[in-house]
Amino acid sequence: MLNHREKRRYVAIMYEENSLFRPIQLHEKIIERFKELFGILHAELAMLKLYDSEFGNILFIGCKLKYLDDLLVSLSMTQPSLTVVRLSGTLKKLRKNVATLNFRNIKNNAN
Amino acid sequence: MAKILGLDLIGIDSNNSVSIKPIENIILRMDEKYPIADYYPHLIVSDNIISLDGKTDLFVIDPFQKKDTIKRKSKRGLGLEISIASTKKLNGSMIGRWIKEVRLIYEFCKSNNCQFILSSGATSINEMVSARTFESILKFMGISPKNYWKEISEWLYSKDKVRWIYVKP
Repeated sequence: MLNHREKRRYVAIMYEENSLFRPIQLHEKIIERFKELFGILHAELAMLKLYDSEFGNILFIGCKLKYLDDLLVSLSMTQPSLTVVRLSGTLKKLRKNVATLNFRNIKNNAN
Repeated sequence: MAKILGLDLIGIDSNNSVSIKPIENIILRMDEKYPIADYYPHLIVSDNIISLDGKTDLFVIDPFQKKDTIKRKSKRGLGLEISIASTKKLNGSMIGRWIKEVRLIYEFCKSNNCQFILSSGATSINEMVSARTFESILKFMGISPKNYWKEISEWLYSKDKVRWIYVKP
């Protein structure tokens, strides 16, 4: 048997600062939407996993590369609103990339 | 934020608000031509079929609404905008219908020289959609993202050219 490891992608997702939902609940909502749009089988195969981002209102979700487009579509059509701010092939790189984004400044500029 | 999301340009509603200070990479969206329009790139946007006229650059369309009147009133070069925001409250089967209707609008745009525009419909920073996500949605609808970005850039360039003739230094 071949020892083949499928590529994964990790997505940094920004959610509302005063959200009523915790990351785990948002993760469930994303999976629910994914299942609605692409089916239970694809949701299982995509292996959507929640990771601790260590940043305020940012959550990390990993999925198989093959299902990345499906995940992004699901995210854009999920309530509450979620915004993909960064994408990476490793969690380490993603954390580094997100750390370079100064979210405090972004929120201030937006106001 | 736009840069983080990989967006070169974003449109924001102005509606004659004097507090808005347009900066680079922003196009103002207004329901009619306000004085501020003389100084900044802008688009006249409408979501009401009755007010749709020759001055309208962009018409915001609900994919579920009847398209007969739009078909009659649309002119060459008109942008037809569809917002993703409305899908958030729909269930799975309605999203399926939404996709089908959007696809029909895209085909209509192709055959009538109108510009198909997919927008986030964001009213806050949290509702914004990244360029990469737009591409996934376009692929999901069977539209080539490469062609989409090319066409929308050309369309915006043509609009800018018209508008900037009157821009004061």
